[in-house]
Amino acid sequence: MSRYRELLGVAFAGLAARKSRTLLIMLGPTLGVAAIIAAVGLTDSAKGDLKLKLRELGTDLIVAEASSSFGTDTPKMPADAVPRALSVPTVDRVAAVSELSGVVVTPYAEAASVYETVPIPVLAADSQLPSVLDVTMVTGRWLNEFDQQELARSAVIGQGLAEEIDMLPGESRSIDVGGKAYAVVGILERVELDPALNNAVFITFGSAEEDFNDEDQEPNKLYVRADPGTERDTSAILPIAITLGGSTEVAAKIPTDLLAAQSETDTTLQFIVAGMGLLALVVGAVGIANVMSISVIQRSSEIGIRRALGHSRSTVGLQFLLEALGVGILGGLLGVVVGLAAMWAGTNLADWVFVLQPWLPWAGLVGAILVSMLAGIVPALKAARLEPLETLRLG
Amino acid sequence: MSPVQGQPLLELDRVSRAYGEEVVVYALREVSLTIRAGDFMAIIGPSGSGKSTMLGLLGVLDLPSDGVIRIDGVDVGSLDDAGRSKMRGESIGFVFQQFHLIPHLSAQGNVETALLYRNLSRKERTDRARAALDRVGLGARAGHRPVQMSGGEQQRVAIARAIVTDPLLILADEPTGALDTTNAANVMEIFESLRSPERAIVMVTHDLAVADHAERRVSMLDGQIVADEIRLPA
Repeated sequence: MSRYRELLGVAFAGLAARKSRTLLIMLGPTLGVAAIIAAVGLTDSAKGDLKLKLRELGTDLIVAEASSSFGTDTPKMPADAVPRALSVPTVDRVAAVSELSGVVVTPYAEAASVYETVPIPVLAADSQLPSVLDVTMVTGRWLNEFDQQELARSAVIGQGLAEEIDMLPGESRSIDVGGKAYAVVGILERVELDPALNNAVFITFGSAEEDFNDEDQEPNKLYVRADPGTERDTSAILPIAITLGGSTEVAAKIPTDLLAAQSETDTTLQFIVAGMGLLALVVGAVGIANVMSISVIQRSSEIGIRRALGHSRSTVGLQFLLEALGVGILGGLLGVVVGLAAMWAGTNLADWVFVLQPWLPWAGLVGAILVSMLAGIVPALKAARLEPLETLRLG
Repeated sequence: MSPVQGQPLLELDRVSRAYGEEVVVYALREVSLTIRAGDFMAIIGPSGSGKSTMLGLLGVLDLPSDGVIRIDGVDVGSLDDAGRSKMRGESIGFVFQQFHLIPHLSAQGNVETALLYRNLSRKERTDRARAALDRVGLGARAGHRPVQMSGGEQQRVAIARAIVTDPLLILADEPTGALDTTNAANVMEIFESLRSPERAIVMVTHDLAVADHAERRVSMLDGQIVADEIRLPA
């Protein structure tokens, strides 16, 4: 063990003794690693805002919607669509929504005509909706079992609508839904994945049946959270599970798909720039091999005397290999710092979100070390093979 | 302290060293020599007489084409590179004409280099190197690098490096060849002071003034030993 510690000391002293040479050969791995980190990091960061949003929203939400089949005005799903969806093993949570047609909401009596022309959507929703959409209440509460059973005229409105009608947090207010006064019991947070919900009024299925003759309580839309990673398979099987061969048509889509596609890094560009970085690393390695080979010749007297003092071939070879390792570690570390600095500067200049894949600095460092070690093999062998008798000029 | 009575430290038994494959040239031909503990020996001879080849073989820096070299009873030819390196490190101390100090290391660092990879603690290395430098009168300059020292001082650092491992054999190749008269005398004084019944000192030189310091003089010519004389002190 002490042998390796001493070898490290000797190698480090060798590097420290020729500072400018060491700094110059460190440039190769430094520039290579910095280029790779900046290239991968900046191409990732260019779509950083979208990636961040996608991470926040998750990709496991599926929206299943009854689609227009021939001869049906308002397409509906079977009344037991929720238990049918839940029967799919990879489905975690389900919330049902039914859009009521022909129900006009009038927040202000004076503006009735406006709201008749551009109606506010009224949705019958079940108690699971906020949990499935993964949104919270801005204020108040969501519709509960009591509202459903007692036919209490309770409504929740979307955040967009609350802002439109200047409803203050905590203010108690009622809203005219199809001529009935509904108490607004809560404001639902903005739903990024379904912006239509921001301006909607939500009431219970019970109230919808009671007040607006929506008797069969058939949903036209299901929000489904699938087990992570299964969203593709789940969205493929959901329509079949819901319709069970019936006449209804159901289409399932993943709302984050578009976002995911938009946030995809331009991999071609990334490969090209990272490839140039890799090339810089390889050129750097060739530089290390060259300079170290020359150094072996310059230091032949040192090698000869070390051999005369009892250092074996393998010890001398290892000394030079460790010098290459030192160049790799120092160059790699410096490359990581320079690469991150370039990323920081680039993202700030372009106003992007800094996205760094956690493996990237490590990969850079390991790459620099490997490449430097490979470059050090030839000089190390050369040093080990040097005959002391040839270098010491006896007699 | 008669040199003839010491234990054999290094034996050359009909050793030859030939170079070339198609045209074979013998640099050394069937040489036998025994170096004993306590020997203070000079190997002399003109250029091309085989002195350097002899030095390479005595120092285990080279292997004979034929014959056997034994150091402390061990056949050098039976050892691999690691074994020969170990033997060099433990049994032989070198002093070269051109000093061969490592330029980026201090005097102390140069001397410590001979103690590396021997499972010694850092303190032990430092202490022993310092003691060796004190012995050659350079303790105060331990932190100086070769470039900051005169030729004589550099050669004294090289001697400290050769004796720090307490070797059986000190091999000196023209130790005063690069020095002026004063420094040369100084270095020879140090060699004289290093004599001990357990150790042999062998100087390879063409300088008869240097050879005069030695008790035993081995003369070489054309790859062979032509004389092996014991000279009693005047």
